[in-house]
Amino acid sequence: MPERTSPSSRPSRAGSAAFVGLSLGLVIKVIFLATINATSIWALGRLVPEGVWVGVAFITIATLAIDIVYLAPGRWAIPFRYLLPGTIFLVAFQLYPVVYTASISTTNLGTGNILDKEAAIEQVIATSVGSTESDISYVARAAQSADGTLGLLLTDSRTDPPSHFVGTTEGLTPVDAAAIDFDGDRISEAAGFTALNLGQAADFETQLSELEVPAEEGIIRLQTFSRAALVGFRLQYDDASDTITDVETGTVYSPTEGFFRADDGTRLNPGWEVNVGFDNYRRVFNSEAVRGPFLRVFVWNWAFAAGTVLFSFALGLFLAVSLDHDELKGKRLYRSILIFPYALPSFLTVLVWQGMMNKDFGVINGLLNAEVPWLTDPWMARASLLLVSTWLSFPYFFLVSTGALQSIPSELVEAAKVDGANGPQAFRRVTLPLLLIAVAPLMISSFAFNFNNFNVVFFLNRGGPPIAGAQTPAGSTDILVTYTYRLAFESGRGQDLAFATAISILIFLHIALFSAWGFRKTARLEEI
Amino acid sequence: MITRWKFLAVLLTAFALVAAACGGDDEAEPAATTEAAAEETATTEAMEEEPMEEEEAMEEEEPAEEEAPEDEAMEEEEAPIVRADADLVIWADDTRTPVILPLAEAFGAENGITVAVQEVNFGDIRDRLQTAGPAGEGPDVVIGAHDWLGQLVTSGLLAPVDLPNSADFSAVAIEAMSYEGQLYGVPYAIENIALIRNVDLVPEAPASMEELEATALALVASGDAEVPLAIQNDPGDPFHDFPLYTAGGGYLFGQNADGSLNPDDLGLDSEGGLAAAAQFQAWTESGLLTPSLSYDVMIESFGQGTAPFAITGPWAVSDADRGFKATGVNYVVEPIPALNGTTAAPFVGVQGFMVSANAENPLFAQTFITEVMSTEDAQTGLFEAGGRPPAHLAAFEAAAGDPDIQGFGEAGIAGQPLPSIPAMGSVWSAWTDAYGLILSGESSGEEAFTNAAEQIRALIAEG
Repeated sequence: MPERTSPSSRPSRAGSAAFVGLSLGLVIKVIFLATINATSIWALGRLVPEGVWVGVAFITIATLAIDIVYLAPGRWAIPFRYLLPGTIFLVAFQLYPVVYTASISTTNLGTGNILDKEAAIEQVIATSVGSTESDISYVARAAQSADGTLGLLLTDSRTDPPSHFVGTTEGLTPVDAAAIDFDGDRISEAAGFTALNLGQAADFETQLSELEVPAEEGIIRLQTFSRAALVGFRLQYDDASDTITDVETGTVYSPTEGFFRADDGTRLNPGWEVNVGFDNYRRVFNSEAVRGPFLRVFVWNWAFAAGTVLFSFALGLFLAVSLDHDELKGKRLYRSILIFPYALPSFLTVLVWQGMMNKDFGVINGLLNAEVPWLTDPWMARASLLLVSTWLSFPYFFLVSTGALQSIPSELVEAAKVDGANGPQAFRRVTLPLLLIAVAPLMISSFAFNFNNFNVVFFLNRGGPPIAGAQTPAGSTDILVTYTYRLAFESGRGQDLAFATAISILIFLHIALFSAWGFRKTARLEEI
Repeated sequence: MITRWKFLAVLLTAFALVAAACGGDDEAEPAATTEAAAEETATTEAMEEEPMEEEEAMEEEEPAEEEAPEDEAMEEEEAPIVRADADLVIWADDTRTPVILPLAEAFGAENGITVAVQEVNFGDIRDRLQTAGPAGEGPDVVIGAHDWLGQLVTSGLLAPVDLPNSADFSAVAIEAMSYEGQLYGVPYAIENIALIRNVDLVPEAPASMEELEATALALVASGDAEVPLAIQNDPGDPFHDFPLYTAGGGYLFGQNADGSLNPDDLGLDSEGGLAAAAQFQAWTESGLLTPSLSYDVMIESFGQGTAPFAITGPWAVSDADRGFKATGVNYVVEPIPALNGTTAAPFVGVQGFMVSANAENPLFAQTFITEVMSTEDAQTGLFEAGGRPPAHLAAFEAAAGDPDIQGFGEAGIAGQPLPSIPAMGSVWSAWTDAYGLILSGESSGEEAFTNAAEQIRALIAEG
């Protein structure tokens, strides 16, 4: 409403407006900055005890930068007020994940190697428990002496009459039954130790679970709150030499490449996460399973992504132009209906398509009364996949084309017609080039998205149909991301997260290069 | 001047906000801990995912293959689970939470500790334990399937379990819950597939696969049935085809001297494996096996009485809407007949309770699973809620009054635990492809299985 602020009233209101604006703006600003500062302080309070120093540094610097830029009086700060939030988000949500992924890709993270070394050693020892021949267990109760020492009141029922002991970290002391107070068949007090009821024992859970009573053949420790057992550990860790020894066989295991290994190559599980440099990348290039079908998968990957973008753009544009007609009634309704495929979650609709395209029982073949091998013939499966992915993404191009069409001044088309162009000519020479300026960058990003469109490929046909006689498990419609997913998550090891990240970094680089090239090309469109 | 004032205001407000946040916490903290244990018990909706009802039953059988992809494919990041604020935290899925909750509450009240059952999708428990466990946000106890042991134990995420009354449990369940000679869980349910026969169409149990084939094909020829054998094969299904494979003479992994499985000895292209593949091809050609028969077609054809036989699991019987119980078809559950005298062995899946190696309170966890969940009462309760045959022998006896349970139990006697070694993950896709190629007629049985074996060996070697 420009006419309301008449020029004459401006100067006189400026003073009060400045004052009102200042206090209102100030309030908003103070609340905004206070919220950010409060969030940061809260986050720091959580990050510092965890020792996440990179996070601490990032949050401190970002918060200080925001405070300074928004509070500084000088003019120099104004551009930063616009730049800074975006930059911070860029670093936090784009740059950091890439750097993090890249750092994972140089490790051996995956099944068997997810702990750190210390935890792995602990777990190797802990799972070697219970190999003592004699399976001795006790009825046990946690107890505490007057000075607060924790101990175990133990009853060994193998002897008749049962024998009783008090166990502490010092060792096992037999107690005469006559000197014991019983509570049913369990000891309630012996040798100065009073039994703790479960509620009391619960307070000492951690100490009790770590309480080890040394005995001749091993250690006695609580298995549950009412039972203790004599346990022995087959494996022992030696701090000085950093090796693990099997006390039964004498085999020595030393740490190599994330596992304790014996000289004959047998290893102890679990291992731990170590840095392996570029091994995962080397594997991508050296592995027969990757190299073999790579070219075929790569070519199809390009065809799939490019095909999806072209078909959905063509269809979306066609519908947008058709519905752009002024005389058409019910435009809104048509447009709403056309958005449907875009609005529904894709992994659901893809599963529906999968059911409909079933060769023997699917709806489509049922309606056609035919036996079209939609998903079982290699070329039909590729066509079906393109069909479904086009169906999924044409509404996007329909939306952007509708928007872009409306921004093209109708005078231009009219002028072309005055100059003698017919409809198609005007569209091709005037509308389309103008439209492409807006839509081409979106086509590039759509290509990048579809290049990695895991959902549609995996859920429609799991990359199938399989190729008869193939030596590698790549299917006819597998794209890079679904195929390498199989390699990374169906390998003999289990889940190979590090290998998967190495592949995604490579795909990222490829897409980044292509997009950079594409955007440079489209920049030239604008010069037309 | 004004800037300094602003700066002060910002600082003051910031501290006020922080103080308010902390103050709120301070008030909440003691209230929570002094509350009665039972009241504190909370069911946390840890995550909500698209329910994929019938798929779920199937996925539970093939976790190595089926579940992980969905996580990967989800567009939005799922919020990481935060450990519930309680002394004993249990992860269970939606069907088992209601049974575990009262038992856990009673245990908590008795011992004066707080207990929380966090609801996690069954298929996500394994993967989430891998991230949450070492991060200190994990549970003390999880409910899980025995074939997760390979990955979880290899990664060092589970603590050994010492179960004094292990003799009370079915031997196959204890065997399945053990990995490299060490027990890692308290089993509670055994699951396997069986033959389900339409008594109206086939009054007598077939004595052999040969007889089953003849009967089924005759019924289809006479128009009394449409689908001769309702068995999932879309595009192929090694899990459901396994009894047919073993009856044909095949084995999956050879055994080492100590009884553990040897991933280097893959039986798919062994003499027996190829014979089984040829038999599978013969059944495809005779029409006994129908290509691209999905779970939906299986459950509907048998449920509507248009299939004389089905090979499936308890989930298809008890499915609320379309299950065989619900549709009222006259059926009986029995072992899958032998072929030429060779027994048909289905995969046996065992579910149970496991203790996280990173449990905050391992003693509570061990006490709870070995003294509460291992009792007959608890196992019967779980059976009543989930309909899965109990692993506890006495509870199974009590449940076997139900003829379905009896039938599945008998069919499982010949069964083999689904291999839990990590190499099993390499098997599913390639084997599924091989069955798919035989069913679509693109490969001969021999060719398909020889190639599948090559592919699986290559994948195992990749690890």
